[in-house]
Parts: sequence; C-alpha cells; structure tokens
Amino acid sequence: MIALSVAAVLAVFLLYTSIAGGGNPSLAPSELAGRSGDVQLAGLVVGPVAGDAHAGGLTFLLRDIGKKSGKAVSVRYAGSVPDLFKVGRHIVVDGRLRNGTFVAEPGSMITKCPSKYAPKQSGDPA
Amino acid sequence: MAELGRAALVVSLGLCVYALVAGAVAAHLGRRRLALSAQNALLAAFGSTLVASAVLLSALLRNDFSFTYVASTTSEALPTAYTISAFWGGQEGSLLLWLLVLTGFAAAAVRLNRGWARDLIVWVVPVFGAVATFFAFLLVAVANPFATQAAPVDGLGMTPSLQNPYMLAHPPLLYLGYVGLTVPFAFAMGALISGRTDERWLVATRRWTLVAWTALGIGQLLGAHWAYEEVGWGGYYAWDPVENAALMPWLAATAFLHSVMIQEKRGMLRIWNVLLVLLAFSLSLFGTFLTRSGVVNSIHSFTQSSIGPWFLAFIGVVVTVSLSLVFWRLPKLRSPTRLESPISREAAFLYNNLLLLALCLTIFWGVVYPLLSEAIRGEAVVLGREYYDFFLRAFGLPLLLLMGIGPLIAWRRASLRSLLTTFRWPTGVALVTGVFLLALGAGSSVPGLIAYTFAAFVIATIILEFTRGTRARKALGATSWPGAFSSLISRNRRRYGGYVVHAAIVLLAIGVAGSSAFDTVAEAKLERGQSMEVGDYRLEYRTLDERIAANATEIRAELAVSRGDRDLGTLEAGKNAYTIEDQVSNEVGIRSDPLTGEDLFVIAEQIDADGTVYFRVFVKPLVNLIWIAGLVFLLGALITLWPDAREQRRLVERTREIGVPATR
Repeated sequence: MIALSVAAVLAVFLLYTSIAGGGNPSLAPSELAGRSGDVQLAGLVVGPVAGDAHAGGLTFLLRDIGKKSGKAVSVRYAGSVPDLFKVGRHIVVDGRLRNGTFVAEPGSMITKCPSKYAPKQSGDPA
Repeated sequence: MAELGRAALVVSLGLCVYALVAGAVAAHLGRRRLALSAQNALLAAFGSTLVASAVLLSALLRNDFSFTYVASTTSEALPTAYTISAFWGGQEGSLLLWLLVLTGFAAAAVRLNRGWARDLIVWVVPVFGAVATFFAFLLVAVANPFATQAAPVDGLGMTPSLQNPYMLAHPPLLYLGYVGLTVPFAFAMGALISGRTDERWLVATRRWTLVAWTALGIGQLLGAHWAYEEVGWGGYYAWDPVENAALMPWLAATAFLHSVMIQEKRGMLRIWNVLLVLLAFSLSLFGTFLTRSGVVNSIHSFTQSSIGPWFLAFIGVVVTVSLSLVFWRLPKLRSPTRLESPISREAAFLYNNLLLLALCLTIFWGVVYPLLSEAIRGEAVVLGREYYDFFLRAFGLPLLLLMGIGPLIAWRRASLRSLLTTFRWPTGVALVTGVFLLALGAGSSVPGLIAYTFAAFVIATIILEFTRGTRARKALGATSWPGAFSSLISRNRRRYGGYVVHAAIVLLAIGVAGSSAFDTVAEAKLERGQSMEVGDYRLEYRTLDERIAANATEIRAELAVSRGDRDLGTLEAGKNAYTIEDQVSNEVGIRSDPLTGEDLFVIAEQIDADGTVYFRVFVKPLVNLIWIAGLVFLLGALITLWPDAREQRRLVERTREIGVPATR
C-alpha cells in the first residue's frame, strides 16, 4: 500500500513535468547569441539606463557577472523596477532575444544585492 | 580582546573534539567516569563559546572597528538594537551563534536525560561532539569572527532593509530551529550506535523537536511578514531558494512530529522516523550551504564564501555515516506491528507523511534542478513559480483534508459505517460552505474554492472534537463549562494543542488562498488630484511630501481612500533614499480592514520629478489571517510544549516496560 501511495505521488510528479515541461534555461549575456526561446538572463547592469519603465520601457546593457570585459547585450524592460536596480548591480530577467535586443517580460526583474549580508568583496562592482 | 575570543574558540574546539573522542571511547569500553567527563566537556564548550560570544558582542557594542567583523557589519550611526543584531548579520557571527546554541542545547539535553536513559546518552554525547567539532573547526580555521585590522574611521554600515525590527527576531529563530534539529538527530544516531532502538530517543527529544519546529515556523512567518511590509512587491513568499531552504526542514520536521506518534503508540515506522530525522537535519545543513555557497540564483544572495564546500562535505559525511548506521541496525529497527487497514489512524498518518515528504522533495528538486541540469546538460534550467504552485496545490490540498480526517479516524481499522457517522456533520458543513461560496462567486478560482471547502471541513472536525471532549468532561463531574474545557486541554495537552496548531494551519491556508487566488491588482500613473479605482476602493492622489529623517530622505505620496460613500482616511506610500548606503527603498502603504482581514496595499513604484506617481495597488482579501495564524500556531505549540509531568511519567513508565538494559 505504501508502494501504491508512492506510485501515486510519482505519477502526479511525472504528469506535471510531461504537461508543463521543464523551466527556462538560465544564461549569461555572452551565451545569448543565437538563442530564440524564452530564457532567464542573469547579468551585471552597465549604463546608461534610459527610458521610462512605465512608458515604453527602460533600456540598458547587461554584461556577464564577474568579467571585466566581454560582450554586453541590450535589454528592454517594462514594469516594476526593484529598489536595488541601478548600474553596477546584478539582476535576473526573463524574456527572449528579438532582433538583437533582449525583450524582458514585464515585471520579471529580480535584483541581487552583492553586499547584502557581508562586506563588499574585492572585484565586486559598486 | 580579539586574542581572548580566538583563544576561547580554540578551547571550544578542543573541548568538542574531546567530547567526541573521549565520549566514543568511554561508550565503547563502558567507562563511566570518562563518559561523565565527556559530558562535562560539552558543558565547558558551551562556557568557552559563551566567552567568545561575549567578546564579539562587547566589540560590537563598543564599535571597535579594529575587529574586521564589526567594521564590515556596523557603523557609528547604527542604533544599538541593530548593532546587537549584527552579531548574526554576518557569516562569522552567525556561525558563532550556531555553535553557542548547539553546545548549549547539547549540554542541556544530555543533562536532562542522563538519569533515565544513560545507556543511550553515552553515545549521544560523541554525536553532539562531532557536529559541534565541525562548527568549531569552521570558526577557528575558515571563518574567524575575531580577525583584526587597522581600525577604519567608520564601519561599512548595515543594509537598510536589514535595519528592521523583524531582523532582530527572524534570523535567530531560524538558527534556533536549524540547531534544534540537531538534538533529535544526535539522539537518533545515539540510539542506532548503542543499539537501544526502542522509543526512548523519541520521548527524550519530543520537546526539543517541537521547540525547533515552532521556532522554524514562527521564524519563517516573521520573514514572510517582513517581506510583505518592507520589500514591498505585494507578496510574502516567492519560492526563492533561500526561503525554500527554511521551509524544507520544517516540512520534514512536521512529518516527523506526526509519524513519531505512530511509533510511540504502535511501534511502527521505526526506520522511517530515523530517516526523517536524518532528512530534517541534513536539510538544515543544506539550507546553510545554499545561502552561503552562492550556487543558485537567489534574491537573497548572501556573499559567496569559502564555507560552502565545507558544508557540502559535512552533509556528505553525515548522510553516508547515518545511512550506514541505519543499514547496520536494520534488523533491530524492524517493526513488530504491521499496518492492518488502509482506512485507519495509522494509515491516515502515513498518507500525511507521504504528502509532506512529497512536497518537501518536490521543493528540493526545484531548488537543485538548476544545478543538476547545469551538470548534465551544461545549461542551468530554472523551474519557476508555476512549478511550486502546482505542487503546493497537488500535495497541499489533500494534506489539508487529511488534517480533518486523521485525528478522528479509529486506530487499527475503521469501518466505513463508523466513518459515515463521524464525518456526517463536518462533511455537511463543508458542502454547505462550498455551495455558499460558489454562489458568492468564489468559483473564479477552483483551487481556492477547494481550499475553503476543505478548510471548513477541518474547522468543523476541530470544533466537534472540542465540544465532544468538553461535554464528556462535564458529564464526568466538571463543575462548569469553562472548567470542563480547561481540564480537557490540560489532561491531554498534546492532542488539543495539536488541534490548535491544525486550526492555525487552516487559517494560514485560508489566508494564502484568499490573498493569492482572489486578489485584485490595478496600476495607474496619476497626477496630483487624479484618482484610480481598484476593487471597490477609490484612491485619490493628493500631495507629495519630502521629509529629511536621520539617515534618509523620505518621499511620500498621500492618498485619500474611500469605499462607496464611506471615507476611509488617508494612506501614505513612497520611497526612502538612504544617503550613506546610496540606496532607495520602497515604503508601501497598507490599510488593513480589522473586520474582514483584507489589505489595501499601495506601492508608489515610480515618482517623477514633476510629481506624477506610478501607483500599483493590490486588494488582498483575508491576508491578515496569515499573521493571525502565526499567533494561533504559537499558542498551540505552547500548549503542547507545556510541561506535563503526568504524561512524561506515563511515557517513562511505558519505556520501562520495554526493559532498560542494565546501566553501565
């Protein structure tokens, strides 16, 4: 009977994964070239930040975290902007690449604070 | 001073190693005096860790920036309360707190139980010693809180969002929970090594597990409330890996607290219980690993640090050694009784355990999936909110229903006929509630409707149990109804405290379902004098003020709120700009309705130079029940925790009958 229950639980799990599929791949800006589907993009904000998040959208560049140089990708984002968003912060957005610009889903931005519980580390920007 | 702290930590490490080695030798060879000295070493380790903690605390209070830790977590201007909270605000300090609580708990748990479970205790001591050695080693060699430097003029200060009363209580409560789970783990391992696999380790650790579990639960709710009020995105839980890190051990511990009853009453599920304790303890270590290693993308990215790999290695050792022990003692863990029927109290508890565990493991899968997919496919794949929401419904709703069924169904074997009589009223209440809500339009969310129907069912069973019990006590000669009621609870605190906790979980479910399945949201860009509508509320944006506070500039938009013809007063929402830390934070406006538990939640998302403000407004029905649930949960936990000499005696008697082997 335990085996039956376990099987039921497993079945629910498999049912979900087969219907909903997996999640989105999480990529760095340099890995984005040529990707067409929905992805999660994590990177470092490089300026300038332009536009209005609630009218037309913000535009800014994202670069790989932890690299001093490297290819940056241009991002357009509309919707809620977290408090901690600014140049030099690490952020995560969902969306897809369209004509060379990463168009983020509205309201999908998450900021990561590089210094939340500990001092700034050498090499960390901002 | 720093030297004193460092020396105290080295002494602690020495004492923990001694408790481990001497304790193991003493237990193996049956040396009673050596075993006693190992126990005393645990107590002494607590003492010297206390000295180290006092050194750190005094350095924090004196703003002694020659301590690297003090300089990096506080500043001159930081209020005293937050200076104290900086003790656990950083990694080194929180590890020190961990060791302090661990050695304290270990010494106390050993002392309290050594009288009646000596043959078990001799092996519990070295297990505590081993865990404490790990933390003491980290503090001495990897993350020393007493590193010094040339004192800078001022410290780096504390992140504004941590300068909040919740942060005084939320982290230490979680630590209390994490560390508390070490106690049942150590006793379980002690029972395995010593071969005394009877029920005594459960009796000895029940209250410790309950304390840890209560602290974890309250700690998480405080964290959720903090997120709701301070982070201000309109939610309270985001399935973030770091939040999940605290939820998983709580779920495992919840399963354990339930299955323990089956083992105590029927001697079943022995292997299962040992495995659950192992799971809960490993998950608490895994939580720390997650938060500190930076392997997953989290909103709460704590600084990536060097202790991650150490934790991973320690988890590996813990799991390997414990599983080997379980395997080695398998013959002794075989249960003398078997499950008789799939419709019985035992079976209901088993389903509850499977569901809790399934929920816990699917969350675990979601957390590690990015890591696994990166290792296998070379690309991290993230499972989103939908994944977690789906499984919360798939496993959470049946759990809710079982909460009503489990406590009322008969032990061993229940007949269908008796089930019909028992559940006639609760089922009726649930159906009426369901139909009524459907008529009110709650059908907009099917999971929400199901949650409410099940909630009504559970509440009805709980009320039924209390009235039936109170009536019985009155019939047995209690003088008054309140007297009958209180004697009912005091005669079986565990059972009725448990019902109160169940009621809290129902409230939580109603609050979560209400605020997530039936909420309303609206956004608008308003100029002064313009207004917007959300739900049946109307908000008019009146003025924008700027105030200079001690460490921040506060910008506030004032809104006049009304519903229908009724004026509901004003609400403020805005932003704080923190000057020193160079950060902005949202300060949301919340209006709670004390009658309906509904919140009007206003975020001033964007404030333009010309005074126009982009508002985002939520109406969250019943959300306040979540916080009330926390209070009820605490009440229920306190009822079950309250010292009960009669029950303790009964349990000790019962284990006596099992036969305690000759003490060494």
